[in-house]
Amino acid sequence: MDIIWSNLPFLLKGAYYTLLITIVSMFFGSIIAVVVAIARLKGNRSIRWLARAYVSIIRGTPTLVQIIIVYYGLADYGLNLQPLTAAYIALSISIGAYLSETLRGAIQAIPKGQYEAAYASGMTPIQTMKRIILPQAIRIAIPPAGNTFIGMLKETSLVSVITVTELLRSAQLLIAQYYVYMPFYLAIAVMYWILSTGFSFILERIERRLSIYE
Amino acid sequence: MNKYGDPMIKTENLSKSFSGLEVLKNINLTVETGEVVAILGPSGSGKSTLLRMFNGLEELSGGRIQVGGISVDANQSQRERNKQIGKIRLHTGMVFQQFNLYPHKTVLQNVVEALLIVKKIPREKAITLGEKLLKRVGLLEKKDQYPNRLSGGQQQRVAIARALAMEPDLMLFDEPTSALDPELVDEVLAVIKELAHTGMTMVIVTHEMEFAREVADRIIFMADGVVVEEGTSEEFFSRPKTERARKFLKMEEVIN
Repeated sequence: MDIIWSNLPFLLKGAYYTLLITIVSMFFGSIIAVVVAIARLKGNRSIRWLARAYVSIIRGTPTLVQIIIVYYGLADYGLNLQPLTAAYIALSISIGAYLSETLRGAIQAIPKGQYEAAYASGMTPIQTMKRIILPQAIRIAIPPAGNTFIGMLKETSLVSVITVTELLRSAQLLIAQYYVYMPFYLAIAVMYWILSTGFSFILERIERRLSIYE
Repeated sequence: MNKYGDPMIKTENLSKSFSGLEVLKNINLTVETGEVVAILGPSGSGKSTLLRMFNGLEELSGGRIQVGGISVDANQSQRERNKQIGKIRLHTGMVFQQFNLYPHKTVLQNVVEALLIVKKIPREKAITLGEKLLKRVGLLEKKDQYPNRLSGGQQQRVAIARALAMEPDLMLFDEPTSALDPELVDEVLAVIKELAHTGMTMVIVTHEMEFAREVADRIIFMADGVVVEEGTSEEFFSRPKTERARKFLKMEEVIN
């Protein structure tokens, strides 16, 4: 146990990166999701096709492969990204595809009458989407998106392969130093669990706060 | 009285098809400024579709329509039509069968939303106007509630206040009481009647015969996508000219 306590600062730094990558990717992934969901529903033929291709490719390939392509693959073309930057990009693109599907379903669940009421009052399609449809759709999308976010938190462990010293890689580095496995792996498992539980708690609170009108 | 120098609504050979099926055929009618017109007819007669064409919620397939001096016709480009429809909507209010209040906004926010977003008037001014309208429909004390806390009748009264907020020259009502429990119908009809007495130009699609008779200056009776008969409220209900209208009135009498 001592071995954990004495190396706790190092592990906590790893946890910090895990959290940071999760939050940054969640943020950019959400922006991508809004754009792609609207593109799929309201775009013209080629935009719709493009959005569909994006979702299909991302959902149809392993996240690990996507990460490796962004970091190692792009280097072939002279694009040498920092590991952390590559992690942000790969995971944002990945989570954006999943979230866009959730959001698309939520937008489609909003009754036609909501659009009509907004249009009848003189709002443009963009104003209607921004003020009337999206705020309602996001409330519907939050519970399933919460699952995606928690999945995301755990998937950040994949970026250890591109030398980002997040939680998993910090454990591996310590293992290489001390030649014992179990204490470090157990320690990070506990830390992942605490982080996910904290996340669920926060998401539940947000969900409850946003559902007051129901 | 008429600030446009034209009727409030004028249609010329207006027609509408849904995937090949013609639901409105060559509709020619006018609604004068200040007039209250009720559109009656059996279900499937096209009356709601016609009403929804007045503010562009349904696209026209043929002919021409003019609302408040702004015209939309089948020969314009889509872009041109959308522009005209946008202008029409700025001075037209609509009340829907299903209320269509915004569930994520409070009663007051529902009423002032378009004032802030479309008309872009200052917040305090919008709120003053919104509260005045809520008072008018008797729901000022509910202003901070969310719509789901209100009865259907109350929701519809909020929807009327919301439509009035834009200070429209024309109000459209699409079966405003059809989704309400019977005991809630009267409170909504009372608000609409009160509005009719202010000289507002109104077109009402309804199944409430008594109400139509009382509130409307003129009746347009439709069946199978055509205007079968029109006349003053008094004429239509006491001396309907067509067999179709007589049959319709008899049916309605039996139902009520």
